[in-house]
Amino acid sequence: MSRIKLGATLYCYTSEYATGKFTFEDCVRTAAEAGAEGYEIVATQMIPSYPFVSDEFLGLVNDCKAKYGIAPASYGANNDRGMLPDRDLTEEEMLQRAIIDIQSAHKLGCHLLRAQYLLSPAALEKLAPYAEMYDVKCGIEIHNPEYPTSPVMKEYLAAIKRSGSKYIGFVPDFGCFATKPNKPQWDQALAAGAREEMLELAKQMRTDSVPLQEAQQRMLEKGANDAEMMAFSGMYGFVQFSTHPDLEGLKEILPYSIYCHGKFHYLYENNREASIPYEEILPILKDGGFDSFIMSEFEGHGYADAVLMTKRHQKMMRELLHQEA
Amino acid sequence: MAFMMRINFVDVICDDSLVSTYADGKKNGYSFAIRLSYYRGHFLSDIDRFEVYTDGEKVADRDIQFGLNGKQFTVGQLGQCVSEFWTLLEPAHIFVIRPGGLPVGEHDIKVVLYLRCPYLPLPGSAEGEHKYQPIDGCGEKKLTIA
Repeated sequence: MSRIKLGATLYCYTSEYATGKFTFEDCVRTAAEAGAEGYEIVATQMIPSYPFVSDEFLGLVNDCKAKYGIAPASYGANNDRGMLPDRDLTEEEMLQRAIIDIQSAHKLGCHLLRAQYLLSPAALEKLAPYAEMYDVKCGIEIHNPEYPTSPVMKEYLAAIKRSGSKYIGFVPDFGCFATKPNKPQWDQALAAGAREEMLELAKQMRTDSVPLQEAQQRMLEKGANDAEMMAFSGMYGFVQFSTHPDLEGLKEILPYSIYCHGKFHYLYENNREASIPYEEILPILKDGGFDSFIMSEFEGHGYADAVLMTKRHQKMMRELLHQEA
Repeated sequence: MAFMMRINFVDVICDDSLVSTYADGKKNGYSFAIRLSYYRGHFLSDIDRFEVYTDGEKVADRDIQFGLNGKQFTVGQLGQCVSEFWTLLEPAHIFVIRPGGLPVGEHDIKVVLYLRCPYLPLPGSAEGEHKYQPIDGCGEKKLTIA
């Protein structure tokens, strides 16, 4: 009987870590206290010797494992195609850097790696033998505004199928299944001087799938201010939502999904997410026989308490999956 | 619809970081510390623009050095620093050459710092166009030198 594993990315505690309130060890301890069975490290965020893993950092990771019982399970890689000042990295250069990521993930003991879509389908395919060599499965993150069957993701699916390798696949981020506007962005926009009726207009246009240019024009004609335009950009961008999320697409790509990002921005006291329909998403994973990690990924930094929200998120997933803590 | 992204969990200019520097026992400039304004670290080659203004006056590039990872880089060199990673937590130390140093007292220190978010191409830009989401990492603060 397959059992879904529930972890948390230390990225949840970005604000606490950046301000010095939490050390790396505090982040690991807090994830363990929330119920995480393993954790993700965003390499560019928390590895002091990035892109390499120093023995010193590995020692810290192992000490934390001994103290708190959890270890890194997934490595959040960044594929920085634009890191040179004058040109994009070539596909071959991107591949070479991704191999370093695999080696660093391996040194940390991670068997899962999140890659980003700037690593092309062809480069992902070429990465497969390296992924196998180090026993690190590499998945392209499907992040809002992409969705499982968006045109770009279809290209990856074709490459994954062509490779015949179990070591390359997807990392769906549940944020792409949002059905309502992002609560933190909505409330922060109001606090920054947005008018509720303008946010409602943006929400309605997004709900009605009004094309971006036309919607933008209407916002500007109505005299939208900066806060309103920021919220509007979010609704048409990284926190877009749809009344018909691509859940059928999730079923289609689930066999190729190496783990998932359980994105959340705000959970109410009843442990339910404000805009992402977990009660529809999680049964699809369970029924589909998914048995890898879902990593809780909080992204309401500075809006809600990360520690409390991550606890609630872990509780929600256990409730919906009928799993004991 | 390009907008400037700004994500700052901490002040860019670090409190109480302004100190004089010396050559042969004489003040020859000053130094202060800055933090990266984002949620992850960056290679220094992601920096598109770096300027320092002290008490409203622009400091010449040749008089600025960017200290990180135990090294000091010139402003003109930053784009070539493709292996120098600036982490989220580590302050960079900015060194400014100024004969005689800064007078004792309060000074307005301003840093103009723009980075490329190297994994976020601007919406609608094609591969090879090399257009990425700009990050505003600027900061300004009054610091006192003793």
